[in-house]
Amino acid sequence: MKPQDLLYAKTHEWVHVDRSGGSPVATIGISHFAVEALTDLVYLELPEVGRQVKAGQSIGEIESVKAVSDIYSPVSGEIVEVNRALPDGLGKLNDDPYGDGWIAKIKLADEADLKNLLAHAAYEKQCAEEGH
Amino acid sequence: MPYVANTAEDQRAMLDSIGVKNIEELFASIPAELRLKRPLDIPPALSEMELTAHMAALAKKDAPAGEKICFLGAGSYDHFIPAVVDYVASRGEFYTSYTPYQPEASQGNLQVFFEYQTLITQLTGMDVSNASLYDGGSAAAEAVLMAISATGRHSRVVTAASVHPEYRQILATYLANLGIELVTVETPDGVISPETLAKVVNDQTACVLIQQPNFFGCLEPVEAIGKIAHEAGALFAVSVDPISLGLLKRPGDYGADIVVAEGQSLGSPMSFGGPYLGILACREQFVRRMPGRIAGETVDRRGKRCFVLTLQTREQHIRREKATSNICTNQGLFALRAAVYLAALGPQGLRETAELCLRRSHYAAEKLATDNGFERVFAAPTFKEFVVRAKGGDVEDMLVRASEAGYLAGIPLCMWYEDLADCFLVTVTERRTPEEIDGLVGCLNQVAAIHA
Amino acid sequence: MRNTRATQLLFELSKSGRRGVRLPAADVPEVPLADLLPTDALASAPPPLPELTEPELVRHFTNLSTQNMSVDTHFYPLGSCTMKHNPKRNERLANLPGIIDLHPYQPADTLQGLLELLWNLQEMLAEIAGLPAVSLQPAAGAQGEMAALLCAAAHFRKLGQQRTKVLAPDSAHGTNPASAKMAGFDTVTVKSTPAGYVDMADLESKLDLQTAVFMITNPNTLGMFDRQIAEIAKKVHEVGGLIYLDGANMNAILGIARPGDFGADMMHFNPHKTFSGPHGGGGPGAGPISVSKVLEPYLPVPVVVRDENGFHLEYDRPESIGRVRSFFGNVGVLVRAYCYIRTHGPDGLKRVSENAVLNANYLLSKVKHIFPVPQGDRCMHEFVASGAKLKNDRGVSAMDVAKRLLDYGYHAPTVYFPPIVREAMMIEPTETESKETLDAFAQTLFRISEEPADLLQEAPHTTSISRPDEVQAARQPIVAWSPKV
Repeated sequence: MKPQDLLYAKTHEWVHVDRSGGSPVATIGISHFAVEALTDLVYLELPEVGRQVKAGQSIGEIESVKAVSDIYSPVSGEIVEVNRALPDGLGKLNDDPYGDGWIAKIKLADEADLKNLLAHAAYEKQCAEEGH
Repeated sequence: MPYVANTAEDQRAMLDSIGVKNIEELFASIPAELRLKRPLDIPPALSEMELTAHMAALAKKDAPAGEKICFLGAGSYDHFIPAVVDYVASRGEFYTSYTPYQPEASQGNLQVFFEYQTLITQLTGMDVSNASLYDGGSAAAEAVLMAISATGRHSRVVTAASVHPEYRQILATYLANLGIELVTVETPDGVISPETLAKVVNDQTACVLIQQPNFFGCLEPVEAIGKIAHEAGALFAVSVDPISLGLLKRPGDYGADIVVAEGQSLGSPMSFGGPYLGILACREQFVRRMPGRIAGETVDRRGKRCFVLTLQTREQHIRREKATSNICTNQGLFALRAAVYLAALGPQGLRETAELCLRRSHYAAEKLATDNGFERVFAAPTFKEFVVRAKGGDVEDMLVRASEAGYLAGIPLCMWYEDLADCFLVTVTERRTPEEIDGLVGCLNQVAAIHA
Repeated sequence: MRNTRATQLLFELSKSGRRGVRLPAADVPEVPLADLLPTDALASAPPPLPELTEPELVRHFTNLSTQNMSVDTHFYPLGSCTMKHNPKRNERLANLPGIIDLHPYQPADTLQGLLELLWNLQEMLAEIAGLPAVSLQPAAGAQGEMAALLCAAAHFRKLGQQRTKVLAPDSAHGTNPASAKMAGFDTVTVKSTPAGYVDMADLESKLDLQTAVFMITNPNTLGMFDRQIAEIAKKVHEVGGLIYLDGANMNAILGIARPGDFGADMMHFNPHKTFSGPHGGGGPGAGPISVSKVLEPYLPVPVVVRDENGFHLEYDRPESIGRVRSFFGNVGVLVRAYCYIRTHGPDGLKRVSENAVLNANYLLSKVKHIFPVPQGDRCMHEFVASGAKLKNDRGVSAMDVAKRLLDYGYHAPTVYFPPIVREAMMIEPTETESKETLDAFAQTLFRISEEPADLLQEAPHTTSISRPDEVQAARQPIVAWSPKV
């Protein structure tokens, strides 16, 4: 997936919506910018499959040696799949944050959530501001 | 001021360098109206010699174990402390250092913590241990909080009346404002009845906390209890007497998920209740839920094995209100004492210590029960403590008389258990000789005769 | 002299059949074990502990000790931790049999000396705090925070008030919000000004009838006395809230100002800092709390009371929050604090703070030319220098400086705390260090600031290990030794 084609939450999660299977399913992950900011990742806690989540709710945590960040769900819905291979291969977050580094798939409850997300350019702008 | 180096000349030079006239100016940020305008109303200073005499005079008003023969226990024990423990713990490099924030300058402490953690896993049969908590009681409360977070069950915790009453009070205090129900099953037979327990453990129960041997010295049916907890999806937390593990099955071998213990028995003095050592160990899967510091092995830049504080993101200095606990310090010096103690005893020494406790305590229990004035209260097997009923009543008066005769004979149970108001708890450690036990029995018989 | 050969673990030194302690025979009638305990309760073998002799243990642990820096051996300016000298007399006195061989449940008449000491310590701490009621029970500062917050919660419950929030500045110790959470409160962060003071506008915007407590460290974690404290207290009290004073920095104000006089309703002491209890490689400490008369009924039990029959422990306090730990408290630490306070008396304690503040200001006056001190030219007992310039100019971090200090025989300051200062180095010399030590330390900092970046980034060079790989330690935690298969 190309970062340009994705939507982003202000809290640095990305979203890609797949409508091919009928009801829309969002794949989510965390952005390259967030991965870099966290530095050496050591631990990832995934959400449980089947859990109902609301947009903005914490669904997991990601840790470096001396910092910890929540992963917030950018959308509301049901968690239908998680990337089980990821916690044991955190390098994927560095190497391919928008591909192999995906975190979870969420069956969308309300497509209106997507309107609250940022397009790539707007997100880049936010990162540039945070970087200062 | 024997501990301040600054002479008047030093002070002058320092003030000049700072650019102020006097020390007072350095306190200018504290508004005058907020200052204390008189000297503190505390006693005047004592010289080292005077302080020594003063403390000796105070200490003389106390009757330490040794002056009176101590049969008291209930979580604080007069066990033997090998000299090597005191020697190691009195090294200034250990006791005047602090938390190993700079691992390169703290490999001594860090390796000790790693060794301590390993010894605790060997002792308990669990996978992982932290580098210690405050004491056995708060460790039990922390274990329960850990179980709540691990299971995500925020409604019920089950314990038993046979758990140390003070540990249960701590637990009640810790849970007071968290909206969690603490259910305590009664133990009229001195041990938990699995049938009674099964009625209150439900699918909302985060954990079942018991003590083995329990507060009355009795052995609980741990395997049945663990099964009940696990069938309900609750965690099984056990508070153990570490010395008993020289003989008894380890909690890891009967299904415990979290093990806590008062570590004072492992080489630390009774010291009127503290400082002590809170032991906490658990199964691998809960390692990130653990409270407190943890030392871990890694390598340095040259590939040499070394140790660091690890998994620190669990802790308050990073995770703040979302931390696994508010605990900051561990009890480093007492973890060191426990490590030296366990290594000095080794498997055989620990086994022999446990056997001495067991044999001598059973000898005392039998001898006491042959007298008409006393009877054993519970039928369950015991380790080093047992509950005795004084048929003549007025236990407190009897214990005062025994104390006057030189025996700290037992702990009255009236403070915690209404139905055991005529009972007391007797503890026999490996330090109590057969002669001392005979002396205790003789003394209690005489005291009982007065009451009869 | 450090023994470079000694690097093995206890378990690697172990050899089957060795032992460090021999025990006597039971000397009671021999009964088969199975008659004493049910066989299903017995382990088939004792725990697999290591087997070593006493000489092996002495050498092992003595050699390990030499891999630590400590107050006895090194200048240890670890900010916020008050690493002052630990008087040797107090160690000996705390180990008197009449103090240390006492069981917590012995009858009060066999404890009159110790109870008198503890009662007097309660009185002295109340006087130093300016808050009349004391509990000696909490085992550490963090537990003191939780105990006092539970007292506050009980107080509001009695008043029938639903107060859910505890406020604390962003510069607070992490224990503050963590303790508030454990006491059942939600935590709200209040901003600090760049100088580290409470941002009054932000505080006021967050104060309301749900506010239970505002927790403040004063002097604060930048080592500055927040002179707004009286006004802060007034505002918090106006909405019915209480002030909690984190007493971590009491070493600056002993006998000079009292928390109770500047608005606090409750506080904890850190006797292992302020009153010279040794830090023990990370504990034990103690966390006695002093509270106002209003909060007294809720203090943990027992407390020491005095009546016509002498001293005894009082348990019967129906409104008490209960207990936060077993037995009485960390008595050994409290005894050392008592000895320390008695050694100093009223004038001596004041001089402790005066010299602690003098030493910190003197060191600040030397260090600020090397590492800027954003808070200004004055401090209380500690200050926070910033390595931001060195980081920007040469890529050398505060951590690199800290590591290099170890090479020169100094323990490092506290680094990266408080988080409101970039590349923070929090330096607390304490009153027990001499001018010569401070001069030499400042010179060393200067020298380090001139050293090549790569030398610093690779530091330390002379310690028993170089920098450890903390990422590996956290990714694949190895927290216990296991035999190599």
